[in-house]
Amino acid sequence: MLLIGHGISVRADLPIPEWLFGWAAAMVLVVSFVALAVLWPEPRLQRRTWRPLPGGIGRFFASRPVEIVCGAIGVFLFGVVIYSGLRGVDVPEANFASMFVYVAFWVGLVPLSVLFGDVFRAFNPWRAIGRAAAWVAQRASRSDLPAPLEYPERLGRWPAAIGLFAFTALELVYADGDKPESVAIAALAYSALTFIGMALYGVERWIERGEAFSVYFNLFSRLSPVETRDGEVGLRRPLSGLPSLELLPGTVAVLAVMIGTVTFDGASEAPLWSGISPDIASFFRDVGLSPQRAFELAFLVGLTGAVLFVGAFYRLGILGARSVGGGFSASRLANEFVHSLVPIALAYVAAHYFTLLMFDGQRLFYVISDPLGKGSDLFGTAGAQPDLGWIGANAIWYWQVGFVVAGHVAALILAHDKALALYRDARQAVRSQYWMLAIMVGFTSLALWLLSQANA
Amino acid sequence: MSLPIAHAAHTLTTIAYFLPVVAFLAWLFVTQIRERRRSRG
Repeated sequence: MLLIGHGISVRADLPIPEWLFGWAAAMVLVVSFVALAVLWPEPRLQRRTWRPLPGGIGRFFASRPVEIVCGAIGVFLFGVVIYSGLRGVDVPEANFASMFVYVAFWVGLVPLSVLFGDVFRAFNPWRAIGRAAAWVAQRASRSDLPAPLEYPERLGRWPAAIGLFAFTALELVYADGDKPESVAIAALAYSALTFIGMALYGVERWIERGEAFSVYFNLFSRLSPVETRDGEVGLRRPLSGLPSLELLPGTVAVLAVMIGTVTFDGASEAPLWSGISPDIASFFRDVGLSPQRAFELAFLVGLTGAVLFVGAFYRLGILGARSVGGGFSASRLANEFVHSLVPIALAYVAAHYFTLLMFDGQRLFYVISDPLGKGSDLFGTAGAQPDLGWIGANAIWYWQVGFVVAGHVAALILAHDKALALYRDARQAVRSQYWMLAIMVGFTSLALWLLSQANA
Repeated sequence: MSLPIAHAAHTLTTIAYFLPVVAFLAWLFVTQIRERRRSRG
């Protein structure tokens, strides 16, 4: 990724070798699994418990004026991204467009979604523009607008999976993907596609299923104890938003993209990838491509391979779970348990981009004062410099291990709860989860190995 | 001479990371085969 990114400094004096943390994490998962089997005999997360915030606060946060203000802020920020991307300096770390999109939006909104619910839905500029356009069109025509087309069921969340893959390809594959101008042009192109999708299938339907970032942040927001329901913000049991995830085609693909692309981002720093990528690039050079395009295609192969690997690994666990009986098809099981991958995706994002948010996040304070990078100082913070020493390398490692373990334990809880609801026999439910445990141990080991590669 | 040793150390470390997964999958396969045999017998 851009800028300081990951692996900011080398860890030293850890009490045990890094790989032993992987073994300890695996042990934590096994112990958690046994504890769940003994102490969690009934499904607890399947019922949607929710109560509104007291004193009318919930109604205020979900009110129309707040919605309009949030939407206007989203549209304004989107406008600043486009303007600074096209008119500002061509230096990613000095331009608001790259910093905002890759740090504040892509990474920073994830913890906000987990803490405060579906924040992006309120600030989504495409949704705000789409709803405003529909309102104006309705007023102008003085009659009901024609009904949108019915959203094809088999399309499910596939457009979102493709959109997320395209965005990460821009970030990780395209050599100039972090350049402000590329970010602005990509945002405009994506906006055009989003408006077409909303015009065809309706604003809300496209936002729920087709718009990549809405689907991405909504999945993370389902971990949150905060949920907006029937025009009111309220509280629910943490994690309980995930079991009610609508089982739609393409959901496994979305999660495979979410985990696989972070996997590739980490793996691309590993000596293993440095060893094989020149060979793949040379294959593309031999068919007549320029060295830069050949390397980009090599990275595209790597990115695709990582997504397919994650999808195949999940499929392996599902086939294993199917082998214990119960009469469920593999695709039914894959859909039923896919929500348990969301905390894993969160663990990957949190652990992998922790340093990006902690260090590059500080740069946002000076780019907001000088969004174009041309010497302005709107809020008096343009001269600030990031403090790169406020958290040590070992502390970062402990945080990262903590994120990985917590995410995978949460995934185990979700899968265990769903198995209890799905299988009639509790013993069969636990046996099916041996395979999910194998998946969790696998993803944990992979996550810690990827993090270790940043300093390899 | 130091390069192959460095590579070997790196490979061993990578193997160490994934050893729990391999061990767990092996245990799972063995358990499943045993259960199948038991249910046949």
